[in-house]
Amino acid sequence: MAESILFPEKQSRRDFLNYILGIGFAGLAGAVLYPIFDYLEPPKAPEVDVKNLDLGKDDDIPKNSSKMFKVGNTPGILIKTESGELKAYNATCTHLECTVQYKNDEKLIWCACHNGRYDLNGKNISGPPPAPLTPYKVIVQAGEIFIST
Amino acid sequence: MNCNKIILNNSINKIVIILGIVLLIKVLTLNSLISQETPQSKDQCYNCHLQLDGKFKAPADMFKVDVHFHKGIFCSACHGGDASSDDMDKSMSKEKGFIGIPKGSQILKICSKCHSNEYNTLLSSAHGESSTGKGIIISSCIVCHGIHNIVPVKSPSSKVNGANIVNTCGSCHSNAAYMKSYDPGLAIDQLDKYKTSIHGQRIFKGDSKVANCASCHGNHDIKHVKDPKSRVYPTNIPQTCNKCHGDANYMKEYNIPTDQYEKYKTSVHGIALLEKGDNSAPSCNRCHGDHGASPPDVNSVTKVCGVCHALNAQMFSDSPHKDAFEQKNLGECTVCHSNHGIVHPTDDMLGTGKRSVCIKCHTQPQDRGYQTASVMESMIDSLNRDVDIAGNAIQNAEQKGMDVSDAKFSYNDIKKVLITTRNIVHYSDLNKFKESINEGFKITNKAKITGEEAVKDYYFRRYGLGVSTILITILILALYFKLRKTEKKQ
Amino acid sequence: MKKRSILKNTYEWLNGRFQLDSLISFMKKKDVPLYRGTIWYFFGGITLLLFVIQVVTGILLLLYYKASAELAFESVQFISAKVKFGWLIRSIHSWSANLMILSAFIHMFSVFFTKAYRRPRELTWYSGFILLALGMAFGFTGYLLPWNELSLFATKVGTDIAKTFPLVGTFVMTFLRGGENVTGATLSRFFGFHVAVLPGIFIIFLSMHLIFIQRQGMAVPENWDEIPEGTKKHIPFFPNFLMRDLLIWLIIINVLAILAVFFPWELGKKADELAPAPAGIKPEWYFLFMFQTLKYIPAKILSIDGDVIGIMLFTLAGLFWFLVPFWDRKKPEGVKRFWLTYFGVFVIIFIVVMSIIANWWGG
Repeated sequence: MAESILFPEKQSRRDFLNYILGIGFAGLAGAVLYPIFDYLEPPKAPEVDVKNLDLGKDDDIPKNSSKMFKVGNTPGILIKTESGELKAYNATCTHLECTVQYKNDEKLIWCACHNGRYDLNGKNISGPPPAPLTPYKVIVQAGEIFIST
Repeated sequence: MNCNKIILNNSINKIVIILGIVLLIKVLTLNSLISQETPQSKDQCYNCHLQLDGKFKAPADMFKVDVHFHKGIFCSACHGGDASSDDMDKSMSKEKGFIGIPKGSQILKICSKCHSNEYNTLLSSAHGESSTGKGIIISSCIVCHGIHNIVPVKSPSSKVNGANIVNTCGSCHSNAAYMKSYDPGLAIDQLDKYKTSIHGQRIFKGDSKVANCASCHGNHDIKHVKDPKSRVYPTNIPQTCNKCHGDANYMKEYNIPTDQYEKYKTSVHGIALLEKGDNSAPSCNRCHGDHGASPPDVNSVTKVCGVCHALNAQMFSDSPHKDAFEQKNLGECTVCHSNHGIVHPTDDMLGTGKRSVCIKCHTQPQDRGYQTASVMESMIDSLNRDVDIAGNAIQNAEQKGMDVSDAKFSYNDIKKVLITTRNIVHYSDLNKFKESINEGFKITNKAKITGEEAVKDYYFRRYGLGVSTILITILILALYFKLRKTEKKQ
Repeated sequence: MKKRSILKNTYEWLNGRFQLDSLISFMKKKDVPLYRGTIWYFFGGITLLLFVIQVVTGILLLLYYKASAELAFESVQFISAKVKFGWLIRSIHSWSANLMILSAFIHMFSVFFTKAYRRPRELTWYSGFILLALGMAFGFTGYLLPWNELSLFATKVGTDIAKTFPLVGTFVMTFLRGGENVTGATLSRFFGFHVAVLPGIFIIFLSMHLIFIQRQGMAVPENWDEIPEGTKKHIPFFPNFLMRDLLIWLIIINVLAILAVFFPWELGKKADELAPAPAGIKPEWYFLFMFQTLKYIPAKILSIDGDVIGIMLFTLAGLFWFLVPFWDRKKPEGVKRFWLTYFGVFVIIFIVVMSIIANWWGG
């Protein structure tokens, strides 16, 4: 008895409506499942990691050189001084927000836009910048460098 | 016989007449001798001291040229005492108001009895106040004007006239030991510098029209440079210089332009200093010197501008223009940027267009400089266009509500590239220029693509929604009909 | 024997083990009264659909969401901007949450006015009310998870109100917040509630609620007995009502997609625990009426805090509402109990008016 409710007799003529329904539901299932499966595929962009950035091994960075990195949407600069000390700052120049860089001949931080200069403590020492660079904390754990904002 | 007697009588008459005339003359001169009782001669202080020796005679001696002496103001007007008595005890008695030799601020009080305006002005000037507090006057009147021999300012022998004033001021301000007791941080090289300046050179040759200390600093009203009311406070300097240098009549014989201030007012530096109050902007003295005022040498213009614009100065010095300009005795930076009327450089200064500075020299299209300028111009124009296009693409996406924070992050670097590239022009090196500007193209391309992709995604969402809606609507309709059919059957 | 379809084979296999036949024949009997008010019967199913959507989208969000104060905001931004269709999943989750609560309210009021809470369906009502409370708890905890400015302060305000409960208030507030203030600890806690604790409890009560409904069938309106037999119409639940359900569900799904594309859910600014509250802070819309009412109660009434009075009033009102099957049993013939209906209408108007005032003329 129950069978006849759930499985009515096969109609000799393919019901057009059933056909449409079947296609429709299949299409709906596809339209629902396609975004879900696409969603499951992780995007190529790096995973969000904002508070504690891993910048690689301490040994990989030579003395008197720098490395640029990104914190959220802000540029950052990591510097290893001549004496091997690690310093990190928000690389946004406090003058007009250009990105600063490290000058290893003068051993200071320099902004190409208007010749602003900062010392290795981030203090603005010459040119138009009105304020020092915001420092980030550098933590070295088991040879790995981490940046904490 | 009677005629001869008369003639003898006439000779005696002549003698009498002559004697009479001589007597008359003597009487007359005797009168004048008596009326040579002048006011001066009535002043017993003066009379007495004139007859003394050494340092007691000196004041009276000197006083002969003093303007007060000629105007009838004598010793007791300042020293007090009784000028009518020649008895020392009476004339120099305290009861009669004698104060002896006045010292310090006493002197000023005495002068101020008549010269009250100057005194009040001096009180509020830099010389009137001292670092130890008000009331201790640094410089009293006699330091600059002298004492007992004060002549009018216009007189060539006045200590405060023309070339003399320079040495008068210098007598304290060039004395290191003396200045140290007042303001150890104050420079003492002003006189030395002044002697190297155009003003200094001319004034010692007798030109009284050029500027001396008082022309710029004032006389009684000298304020510290740091005081905004000072005539040599950074924002006031242009006006001070302009007082002479802007007066065409005054400057007629010197054959130099008089439009510097007018030009400067419209310049970047002028606007920064005078309108925005930015004291770090240069005024006349920063480029020309203050005490050693003279225009910079044609070949040292770069160094002077380079004090602030270090990067550009270095780039220019490394460029072929440096030697070329030197050969032609051209004023380096000022050739393209002008001297007083420096305006913010624009992209149309570069290239071969109407407003370009390159074609001032590089007139021929075959000329290598002309070609370089032309290439640079077209590249920068192209970058500017790309910057706009990329910016629009990002803005378009943002307005549609799409996330473009990544694009904006890399697009932000465009600012730096534009500034760097525009400045690299000073190298006049096409390769360096291309290297710099290509960074910009990379950025704009990436930004444009990201922005366009975001917009594409926006439309994709709506398109996807449209397709899904159609699909679901068909399904709904099919279901509805199925329902109807099922219920009909039942 | 003719070749049987796979479906039939599967059915027979299961039937042999779970006696599906008897279950099917029982369910076949379920029917739905067809009258002017039939439309209200759909809202339970709508709420259920939206809940299922919440679970599915919630699980998907879980794959990328990071529940710490430093990363939560950025992870939601990441989902909305970088993950493929992340924007869709996130917006659907937020919209569906709100629609679910709205639908739950409508469902509850329709049950109230048709008096379907009466015997034998008291437990269905009680479990349903608990489900509504759990749903609002879902909303409250979920609202904090993006860790943006609005949600930080809405949570602060909301948990502050918990403090006003006499005796247990401070304990409850500290328990909710995981400390004195709303911090990363609160976020961790709310996350745990939202994805583990509440779903667990919800499933239990939902299962009860659904089993009760299936066991007892659809309630009929008050005056059903008075309608002559011939004109009374019923439609079987399977397949007729279910197909209608499906129809409406398809429309709802489409509406959600349209909302997600044209009215994407905003993210706002990242929460800053040190910043002062922005002006006009208010909780989510389903708490607005309580929020606004509390603002109208004077600061002190007879030396008791106005807030405490307000909370007690709401608790009593809630309790009264909760216990309505107890108050309102079937009356003797001829006696109409209108006052309860008027009370229900008053409650709706009160909630709507207070919400409107709070939203557009914020205290």
